Amino acid sequence: MKKIEIKISGKPVSAQAGETIIHALWAVGKGDLVKTGCAGGVCGACTVTIRYADGKTGGTELACMKPVEEGMAIFPCPVEPDKAVEPVLNPDALTLQSVFPTVNRCTKCGSCTTACPMSIPVMDSVLRMQQGSFDEVAEDFTTCIHCGLCRFVCEDKVKPHNMGLWIRRSLGKSHEVLAVSSEDSENIEKEWQHLMVEDKQERLQRAKDFRETGGVSA
Amino acid sequence: MMEWAKESLEKVEQSRAARLDKSAPSPEDSESILKNFHPDYSGKERTLTVGPNAGGQKFPFELADLLEGDSPLPGSHSTKTDIETDVLIIGGGGSGAAAALALEGAGLKTHLATKLRLGDSNTVMAEGGIQAALADNDSPRRHFADAMVGGHGENEANLLRILCESGPDSIRWLSQLGCLFDRNPDGTFRLRGGGGTSVPRVLACRDYTGLEIMRVLKDAVRLSSVNILEEHAAVELLDDGNKTVTGAVLYDQKNSKLVNVSARAVILATGGSGQLRLQGFPTSNHVGATGDGLVLAYRQGCRLTFLDSYQYHPSGACYPEALAGQLVTEAIRSVGAQVVNADGVHFINEMAYRDVLAGAIIKETREGRGVTTPNGKIGVWLDTPMIDLKHGEGTLAKQFPGLIHRFERYDIDPAKTPILIYPTLHYQNGGISVNAQCKTEVDGLWACGEVTGGLHGKNRLMGNSLLDILVFGRRAAESVKEDIPERRPLTLNNLNQFRKDRPASLEKSPAFFPAVSKMKLEFGKPETEVETSSSSETSGGYEPPDPFAR
Repeated sequence: MKKIEIKISGKPVSAQAGETIIHALWAVGKGDLVKTGCAGGVCGACTVTIRYADGKTGGTELACMKPVEEGMAIFPCPVEPDKAVEPVLNPDALTLQSVFPTVNRCTKCGSCTTACPMSIPVMDSVLRMQQGSFDEVAEDFTTCIHCGLCRFVCEDKVKPHNMGLWIRRSLGKSHEVLAVSSEDSENIEKEWQHLMVEDKQERLQRAKDFRETGGVSA
Repeated sequence: MMEWAKESLEKVEQSRAARLDKSAPSPEDSESILKNFHPDYSGKERTLTVGPNAGGQKFPFELADLLEGDSPLPGSHSTKTDIETDVLIIGGGGSGAAAALALEGAGLKTHLATKLRLGDSNTVMAEGGIQAALADNDSPRRHFADAMVGGHGENEANLLRILCESGPDSIRWLSQLGCLFDRNPDGTFRLRGGGGTSVPRVLACRDYTGLEIMRVLKDAVRLSSVNILEEHAAVELLDDGNKTVTGAVLYDQKNSKLVNVSARAVILATGGSGQLRLQGFPTSNHVGATGDGLVLAYRQGCRLTFLDSYQYHPSGACYPEALAGQLVTEAIRSVGAQVVNADGVHFINEMAYRDVLAGAIIKETREGRGVTTPNGKIGVWLDTPMIDLKHGEGTLAKQFPGLIHRFERYDIDPAKTPILIYPTLHYQNGGISVNAQCKTEVDGLWACGEVTGGLHGKNRLMGNSLLDILVFGRRAAESVKEDIPERRPLTLNNLNQFRKDRPASLEKSPAFFPAVSKMKLEFGKPETEVETSSSSETSGGYEPPDPFAR
């Protein structure tokens, strides 16, 4: 594999083409410079900003997902979590504004969308939040990993991912409570007695049979 | 893009139409596949010489070394209390969070400690779904039967019954917290099959089910009265001098200092150990999955069970190298992606049990029917384009956005091109032995989630671990509420006894971080030295000014 050179917080580090930033830092014993959680692109711990010497556009990335490139300059960019906000039943645009007063300060600059490592249309979704189109917002934020970058880059202190979660949780809580079908309790206990037999071999055989029909055959 | 595999990819494409509606053979002799090819049977394991499991069941080499390792705690460590709490939960994944939420309102002061951040866990990485017997033709008994057969009849039946009976209520609990699961057009939950389910039983939120559950639990915990100690690694458990666990020593990683916590009850929810990368396998696990909880509990005298059994998930990514080991969810197979060898032959039913399928894939590659990557890894194809062929264009992208998102960076579109897979170390089937109240065999210590063993037998079904962590996390909390002991003194007696008995080796444990990361926690150093080395990395005037600093 080809050797290339990258920079982490200004210090040159040697890396192998094809590996991610995190793996490159691990290999040279500098793993503690960038926070890690899952190293699989879903926990949002390893946020970094990236710049290139040759004028190519840089940006924000997850260090565990971004492969290294020659001349890449990496700066750790940890984002602290923001205060959580209690979800409500039947949320609407007015309630959202009262708990997240900065929602209307959005200047539509698009930084949040550019910053999002999950390709969520964040800025468009903030517009939908203002309009109260919450089902669409919930869909937009399905893949949100709460890395916080959209909030971090916002000059107007809009908190897109916090609002996204608040809307998702509020909608979730407002759904009808799951109905549980009532079953004949005597039959239930009989089936358990049948399945919970002590002898391991017999228990396995009974489980195999039960799978076929979903009940105890006569 | 994958030019090196052109020839094989052409064969896969050529055979696709003929395979479309045909199911592949179920493995003829799953016993011999397991014995000859599953890593559990490779013999790379040994017995222990110290502790409650000494001379008994075998443990993988990597884990055995840690279990017999020495504590990193200096012998001179003073056990003076720094934090006094009622309940200390160790672990910030789904099980720890569920326990924390279930303790809310009980009038018990609770601390939750994690060496990472709240939510950084295997839970957040779970993709495919969670099982609950909700369908009309389903029942908790049928769920039990499926899991028992999947576990080769070895499951602890009483624990498994609790798991299955608690399925529907757990979904209700999650829904009330605000979790959104995928639904059918008529508003009912969409249920899918998984390997070994006799009826569709798996709920999902796209291929981000664990993320959905974890972000909701995390938010709820942040809104609760629980005190969260992030970047606080558990180094050792403390006892009262008479075997009962009474607290823990944590390492505050930000301030580089050891902290003694006095607790009336300790709940271990530290998760699994995939990052030990047994036998050189890659892993789908998060950075913290190094089996720390097993080591801590073992030194206190807790018996471990089923740790000769690990789950190697059949579909770990094998190419590109940067994604090696990462999970490709089983749900993709359950909606129709076939497992195909280098010659385009659909050599096994992709919904076979995970252990059998993993063994069959390893067999295929060992016998020369795999595909070799430029990095020298060998895998077989997961024919993902089948899904759009079977269910209509756009289905894969709609239902599995995570898969598409991860591969598109490498110019691979799984809707058009198959992806290369190989088994990846995924789940610790065994763990600490617990009873139905999540009590370990040592007073004062409870355990829940992946760190425990027995529930899943020797092979876990898809969707049963997300259910496990919720059911038993909450259950551990309920048991603590009922049975919490009085506060007792803090000593290192159990550790000191273990130190006397253990064989002389230089190995230190727990591991805290994967060996490959080269990250270590060191407590012996004077504090000033630690500070110098960390500050020098960020100083020097290289960091450009941050326009958004606040």
